[in-house]
Amino acid sequence: MTTAANIPSWLGVAASLTLILLAGVVAWRTRLGITRELLIVTVRAFAQLAAVGLLLGVVFDYGGLPAAFGWLAVMAVIAGQVAGRRAAGLPGSRRNATIAIAVGVVVTMGVLLALRIIDSTPTVVIPVGGMVVSGAMVATGVTLRRVRDDARSSRPEIEARLALGLSARDAFAPTRRDAVRTALIPSMDQTKVVGLIALPGAMTGLILAGVAPLAAIRYQIAVMYMLLSAAIVAATLAARLTERDLFDQAHRLHPLD
Amino acid sequence: MTDTPPAFRLLDVSLSRGSARILTQVTAAVPAGGVTALVGPSGSGKSSLLRLLNRFDDPDSGHVFVAGTDVRDVDVLELRRRVGLVAQRPVLLAPTIAAELRVGHPDLTSDEIGALLRRVGLDHLDAERTTAGLSGGEAQRLAFARALALQPEVLLLDEPTSALDSTAADTVLEVVSSFAASGLTVLVVSHDLARLADVAAHAIVLEGGRVVDEGPTDTVKYLGGN
Repeated sequence: MTTAANIPSWLGVAASLTLILLAGVVAWRTRLGITRELLIVTVRAFAQLAAVGLLLGVVFDYGGLPAAFGWLAVMAVIAGQVAGRRAAGLPGSRRNATIAIAVGVVVTMGVLLALRIIDSTPTVVIPVGGMVVSGAMVATGVTLRRVRDDARSSRPEIEARLALGLSARDAFAPTRRDAVRTALIPSMDQTKVVGLIALPGAMTGLILAGVAPLAAIRYQIAVMYMLLSAAIVAATLAARLTERDLFDQAHRLHPLD
Repeated sequence: MTDTPPAFRLLDVSLSRGSARILTQVTAAVPAGGVTALVGPSGSGKSSLLRLLNRFDDPDSGHVFVAGTDVRDVDVLELRRRVGLVAQRPVLLAPTIAAELRVGHPDLTSDEIGALLRRVGLDHLDAERTTAGLSGGEAQRLAFARALALQPEVLLLDEPTSALDSTAADTVLEVVSSFAASGLTVLVVSHDLARLADVAAHAIVLEGGRVVDEGPTDTVKYLGGN
């Protein structure tokens, strides 16, 4: 049920429903109460990916590079909303998350394209850009959540520094650095153990598509570096932008509910 | 002889938080030099008033003057260096005593650190020792020294003895007296005027967000309370 390039046929996809059936039986028998949700997410994943597949086909065939960048812009906006929602209660969180992710993507993709590390074709820009957006989104979401929680719990420390005449930026610096460091742990760990614990996505995809492992790792190395870059740029910027919204002109920390 | 303006003057100051009225038309003065006690029962608005003096908050109406100038006309970072505030429970920010004193003044020399520790009676401690494990009274005095490192004109102390045992509280108040003797203006918030009677020359009594009495400590009426 696979084609020459090791890709499942539609019949193969239908057969993979067996796994959902198995999961459904386990969920039903153990009374997890998620059988209905399982059905919904199964249909939803199918519908979303089918729609994306169709749309990507159109973009690849007719849209060219401008449509590819437009696609990335839409992904960055959606990612910004998702990451911003992680820190509900933080002023300007969705706006700041969107800006941070967008800048992380522009910087990272800009370097990848300017140095001709990747091809400037929609078939490359969209999937690679998607990975960059996703990496930036995760780092931004964790950063903002951490910034929000620490701005609440560390108010006495922050005010003790402000009381010594430190600017909002200096008084908040330890909290900000801590949040960004925490947000980067997954990217750093992923980079540390890449290839040892799991074969990463890009490399897996290339090997499945029949590319030689030594060629596939070249792509994966560039992917790991770009994910680190996107995460660091987005997380740092998200924390900086949020810091401006957390304090007023008189260097006072706004109350956070 | 020219008149020295008070260290702080509050003129018709009101403050609300949400629908709650915290301070109502407060008019009072903190004389320059010496110790002033700001007393009142719990919830009377003492700590909120303190936060107006270094602009951690601004009043809804009225004015706060520092040495004759409206606090809003002073650069806020400069104001906070001129007016040190030490919170009720001092928060230590650095791993060692020397680093703690350098938080607001990174260029402090070893000699200056030694002098600061002497000023708060902590000169028996090694400046390179960790701040973990300091007693409540030592931590409180280290927080005083951290604020003094900036050579402020005024020190605002929020309930400096409330979390301490009697002996530690006495030591802290001796240190506060010595500040006043060196010409510093100190405003001490407390719910216990009797404890400050030997230290503070002047007192302001707040009740329900209003000033109910003000003057020399031995003449003000305050029945006390928590």
